[in-house]
Amino acid sequence: MSGVIKTLPIEITVNGRRRTLEVAVHHTLLDVLREDLELTGTKECCLVGECGACTVMVDGRIVDSCLMLAVEADGAEILTVEGLARDGHLNPLQQAFLDKGAVQCGFCTPGQLMAAQALLVENPHPNVAEVQEGLAGNLCRCGCYYQIFEAVLSVAEAGSR
Amino acid sequence: MRTFAYERPVSLADAVALLDSHGPSTRLLAGGTDLIIRLRDGSARPGMVIDVKRIPELCPEIRERDGVLTIGATTVMADLAANGLVRRHFEALAEAASVVGSVQIRNRATIAGNICNASPAADTAPPLLVYGAVVVAAGPHGSRRIPISEFFVRSGLTSLEPNELVVAIELPVPASLTGAVHLRRTRRRGHDLASVTLCCSVNEAGVTRLAYGSVGPKPVLEQDETHVLANPSAPDDAKQVVLERMFAEASPSKRSMRASPEYRMAMLRLLGSRAMRTAIERLAEKRGAQA
Amino acid sequence: MSASSIGSSPNRVGGIGRVSGLQEYVADVRLAGVLEAKLVTLDCARAKIISIDTSEAEQVPGVRLVMTAADLPQPMPRFGPQLEDRPVIAVDETKYHGEPVAIVAADTKDAAEEGARLVHVEYEELPAVFTLAAALDPDAPLVQDPSLRPKDPLASTNVLREHHVDWGDIEAAHADVVVENTYSFPIVTHFAIEPHAFIAAPDDNGIAVWSSIQHPYWLQRILAKLLDLPLSKVRVLAPDPGGAFGGKQHAKYEPLVAFAAIRAGRPVRLVLSLEQTFQAVRRAATEIRVRTGFTIDGKLAFQDIKADYLIGAYCDIADRVVGKGSYPGAGPYNVPAVRIFARSILSHTTPSTAFRGFGNPQVNWAVESNIDEGARVLGIDRLEIRLRNLARKGDPFIPFDTPADGDWEQTLRRAAEMIEWGKPLAPGHGRGIALGIKSGPTTGLSYSTVRLLADGSVAIYAGTSDMGQGARTIFAQIAAEELGAPLDAIRVVMGDTAIVPYDQQTSASRSTVLMGNSVLKACSSIQAQIRTMAARLHGIDESAITVERGVVRLPGRELRLMEVLKPGLGKLGGELIGNGETRKDGDADHPLGGAAAFFELNCTAVEAEVDEGTGDISIVRHVTVSDVGTAINRLQVQMQDEGAAIMGLGHTLMEHFIYDETGRIRNLGAIDYRIPTTMDLPLEMRSETIENADGPGPYGAKGMSEGALLCVAAATAAAVREATGVAIRDLPLTPERVWRALRERGGRANAGTNDDGES
Repeated sequence: MSGVIKTLPIEITVNGRRRTLEVAVHHTLLDVLREDLELTGTKECCLVGECGACTVMVDGRIVDSCLMLAVEADGAEILTVEGLARDGHLNPLQQAFLDKGAVQCGFCTPGQLMAAQALLVENPHPNVAEVQEGLAGNLCRCGCYYQIFEAVLSVAEAGSR
Repeated sequence: MRTFAYERPVSLADAVALLDSHGPSTRLLAGGTDLIIRLRDGSARPGMVIDVKRIPELCPEIRERDGVLTIGATTVMADLAANGLVRRHFEALAEAASVVGSVQIRNRATIAGNICNASPAADTAPPLLVYGAVVVAAGPHGSRRIPISEFFVRSGLTSLEPNELVVAIELPVPASLTGAVHLRRTRRRGHDLASVTLCCSVNEAGVTRLAYGSVGPKPVLEQDETHVLANPSAPDDAKQVVLERMFAEASPSKRSMRASPEYRMAMLRLLGSRAMRTAIERLAEKRGAQA
Repeated sequence: MSASSIGSSPNRVGGIGRVSGLQEYVADVRLAGVLEAKLVTLDCARAKIISIDTSEAEQVPGVRLVMTAADLPQPMPRFGPQLEDRPVIAVDETKYHGEPVAIVAADTKDAAEEGARLVHVEYEELPAVFTLAAALDPDAPLVQDPSLRPKDPLASTNVLREHHVDWGDIEAAHADVVVENTYSFPIVTHFAIEPHAFIAAPDDNGIAVWSSIQHPYWLQRILAKLLDLPLSKVRVLAPDPGGAFGGKQHAKYEPLVAFAAIRAGRPVRLVLSLEQTFQAVRRAATEIRVRTGFTIDGKLAFQDIKADYLIGAYCDIADRVVGKGSYPGAGPYNVPAVRIFARSILSHTTPSTAFRGFGNPQVNWAVESNIDEGARVLGIDRLEIRLRNLARKGDPFIPFDTPADGDWEQTLRRAAEMIEWGKPLAPGHGRGIALGIKSGPTTGLSYSTVRLLADGSVAIYAGTSDMGQGARTIFAQIAAEELGAPLDAIRVVMGDTAIVPYDQQTSASRSTVLMGNSVLKACSSIQAQIRTMAARLHGIDESAITVERGVVRLPGRELRLMEVLKPGLGKLGGELIGNGETRKDGDADHPLGGAAAFFELNCTAVEAEVDEGTGDISIVRHVTVSDVGTAINRLQVQMQDEGAAIMGLGHTLMEHFIYDETGRIRNLGAIDYRIPTTMDLPLEMRSETIENADGPGPYGAKGMSEGALLCVAAATAAAVREATGVAIRDLPLTPERVWRALRERGGRANAGTNDDGES
């Protein structure tokens, strides 16, 4: 046995809701979101910070939640894909992803949305190159990258009207 | 992932005490973008993980005082790349920070982590070497300042004692105008580990500094004291001789699957030439802007 | 009457779940009491298992089951879609890097992981063959036990099967120029972003199995046989896969998880890591020798193709990939004499399986590249030589198969136009153009049920898997067109063999055509019932009534469908039910067991720029044109074509497995197996379709979604060749490989001594 699993209490705010949890210290934020909080919209794929499927926002910045221990998030504010829609209405990015065909199998979509959301918060009027750079950490094997760019740019454009 | 004890000291003294008493069985956790991969694949099996992000002395901060820029150990790549002071005085460091991983990685990966892993491919190492950075380390006997050129020992090993940790990186603001650039080679345009990472600077005094990594067990720094490289009227042949001498330390691994030694050497030479040219151009631009 | 939805681009059915995080993939399924499982594997390509000690693992708190071959029926049950050669779990010997020898199921993932670490396996590493040369060496160890292939003369070799396709007389064919070259295509992996995941649970004296699988009914059949259960007691639930690309067609570890669940008496879930997924599915590496004969005026005189596919340790569907993938190897051309000889070569590697393009991209890479070589020798333009040989509609270009089923010249000419073929190029730039063709399904059987509910809304039951290609949306569009229901009032039920009628499989770009026609027939049946109702209600003859898009036309008047349905159903309400069936029977005498239902034809044209200093290729413009008959959903067609194009760029430019000297995959995982990111795309991607409504599917549709991947490599390499003068015959075209080729060429490439290449 490598030892009894150690746990620690943490307090995090997830999608606006304050949560107090006892988490295993070796569990990642991804583990805790998916298993302890049953927020399975955040996806697990490569576990080495290459694919971006597990992207969430921590204190306003996107991270790969597979590369962050849950205990590190103690005190943080976390936004996941489940927190994007408000009052049952999709947010503009979610709607644009649907309208522009930026979704195929959908497995990378939550991560793409989080990365796109962060990009637009930081840079409300990105050009294509900036969108490419901002989403470079999110692999889409279905290959709807161009449609994703279009979706992000359409939201940016709508925001400037 | 195996379990471990997790400590999150809130003072430097506590951190040092933990390191001192648990030494080799500990791992420091800053951004975690490397450590957590290793915890999962079992190549790191610490008894204790010490999270250094709540130690005030290591806080993510970039400040300039008396001609020295001090970068807190836990400053992340994204902040380094975006910082106005860094971009003004240390443009190649900003460039290097901006190509480490994806946005997600750059939001977590720290400057201290990037150098403490002592990966030969660390992208911030060449600019830190070129700019003459000093690593401020703290240990049980207080702090000491390690020139970055003495920091890297070999892949995975630094000159830090097991009970020491990096508090900050200091960068002397260049006294004379300097043009510098960071370049790298990767297998694709999207984020990737560098198969050559290189930085070149040229200053008004005609000194060219060149540092490169991912072509040997540790990053290498070379300086052209002859001023030939920076001299626009020096013949190409003469420049080649100097450059070749600068690359003498390169010894790329035959075992790597990312690139062959021949390709790495060829790219080192190519990037060296390209970087030198860009550094000279940038210096000229700065001169122009000042005039 | 609302506008037709055919050819428009309504939003994806199922899209809201995908953008809101609510879409449930297998790993997300909530199930009470489910045990989490981990595999025990050995870190070598091939090993003799001496003993397995599970005692320590069993002591780990929370571990409920440790299962090895010893716990399974003897002899070890074996399965596979083509040959029943894959054991449920390795017995006596592991045959590929990552083949499981034990499974541990526990209350938590932590306990399962701990348990898996503590299963002690004593083993002896054995020499492995993992290249074609090594596997074909007369002294090579045999990958398969010859007793699995009784009466097979090849059983004492590593050649699993040989495939021959011949027509005309190669020896007698007159050629003025013969070009012969050998090309190679590496092992690549699917890298669906959703790693494979499986759950099994004891269920109603039978078993329920969840899998992110493309062919749930095939899996059901395999499980029923292995577990000796009636089909009705094997329920396969197939939540929409998070990408599949062929890698999720056939059973992998479902049988193992099913046995584990039965033994544990509880549900067991196994979610593979991405690394384990890489070890579970991959495309066959191929070496292709092509000898092409041309007449002086650029006519193809013959194609003589020999293709060796490196398949894995177990057959899976790999041998079918070899047969079907090499079969249209001579391309969409009229070639008087053709000889194709393809072999499936076993090796101690991951069983290769279906992967978008199904064995065609490999041969296409070689044959299209060789046509370019011939054009150069003959001094004929590369577009022109294709035009001279291209099959025209109706030509029996493969003599014993479906004649050319499209105006393919249109496709070729349109792509040439879009890439501005013939216009002057900037220095360092080059263009390439290539054609790809693939046989559609050769057999098929798709049932569907459509229910028109009392309020006019519709439920469709179709056993296709929607893995991102958008099958749900297509079926909903068909029902909307035929029954007039708004798209958001249509539910498409898939992925549950206990509820949804049988479908043979989701592969070969078949679903729009085969299941689409089935849904169309089910809707027609409902329309007929509406006509009967209307005739009864209005006292007129049925033949005078038509139903179209929710409108019922009687002589002199039109009624909304509801105006017939409501009174027709009467006080009790109820619904109308239509069943559809599409059957494409095989032909035992046909080399592929059946003629193609349609051909997928694509033309890809590329303009590339090469940095001669580094070997970097930049795709300046990528043009992809597919003959799709009719695009039922325009945006989805575009997405599939562009996605296939980008996937093709992956194997063209960067993807390949790298093995160490003992047969282990070195670049195992996302850090060193590189696929295209947002930064690796063509500067410009242009995709178009040719639509002549000449397909066998609904409204003239043909199957599509693989075509745009087929000839990316050949088109790209041709562009590199024009830009640099070097012909590269091995993929991927990594910067280092291009740099090496340039260095060998000499001349302008002088990397290192001086800067260069930047024009």
